[in-house]
Amino acid sequence: MKSVKMKGKNVEEATRHALEVLGGKEENAKVIVLNEGKSGMLGIGAEEAEVEVVLREGLADDAKRVLQDILDKMEFMAVADGNLEGERVELVIKGEDMGQIIGKDGATLKSLEILVSSILGQIYGERVRVGIDADGYKDKRKQALERLAKDVLDEVSKTGEEKVMPPMNAADRRIVHLFLQDKPNVTTYSKGEGRDRRLVVAPR
Amino acid sequence: MKELVEYIVKALVDNPDQVVVNETSGESVTIFEIKAAPEDVGKVIGREGRIANSIRAIVKAAAAKQNKKVTVEILTDDSRPKSKPAE
Repeated sequence: MKSVKMKGKNVEEATRHALEVLGGKEENAKVIVLNEGKSGMLGIGAEEAEVEVVLREGLADDAKRVLQDILDKMEFMAVADGNLEGERVELVIKGEDMGQIIGKDGATLKSLEILVSSILGQIYGERVRVGIDADGYKDKRKQALERLAKDVLDEVSKTGEEKVMPPMNAADRRIVHLFLQDKPNVTTYSKGEGRDRRLVVAPR
Repeated sequence: MKELVEYIVKALVDNPDQVVVNETSGESVTIFEIKAAPEDVGKVIGREGRIANSIRAIVKAAAAKQNKKVTVEILTDDSRPKSKPAE
């Protein structure tokens, strides 16, 4: 990971200089503004802007390597690939043993996400967001959850009584919540703590 | 599988040279005991045990493929196994 601190007339100029020095592109960089700078009056009280630019070009490759190492040591026949998408590293696993890699309700995939993200956080000294998919699991999961949400929506619309959904992890609850949030007949809220946190679909 | 545990734990801590993984193979279950520098134990366990639970899930998935059963314990300062969060 390369980084540099740079001063300039304003934040844009300082950032541009820093990227030139590092030899990287802005979409791969994280810009920390240390001083926004002041233009001052006739040059009096003017302050130069200062930024620290951190190049994260290697992030996706490092994430891929860590995931591949773990899969190899698990003795799974699988290959990791991935890219940096904004702030987030999106990794995809392909190969055999997909069912075991995904785990029940995606639990093993989620564990891989937590470990790869924590290991990269340790290497880079800051929080790194990592998403891992395998065999189109996330899309399939989203579709299944939306079908479930549709059933609950129909039921609540018909009975006028609220319905408590089964316990789900935060990512799954979010999918259901987003699907239902613009439906006119119902509203959603969560109750319970930790593993027992559930989404409730209530008539509006 | 010991290599898998060592790889993950060493990558998570500030003092990888102080990580020790002991493997005890019983008749039906293999136990992995993880020792790390006291200041690193928190990094191995994580907030609400989420990292410890993830290590367990990964090692169990790898073991299941070989039809084996494993337990993963993280030893804390006082050398007692950390009580296991509900699974």
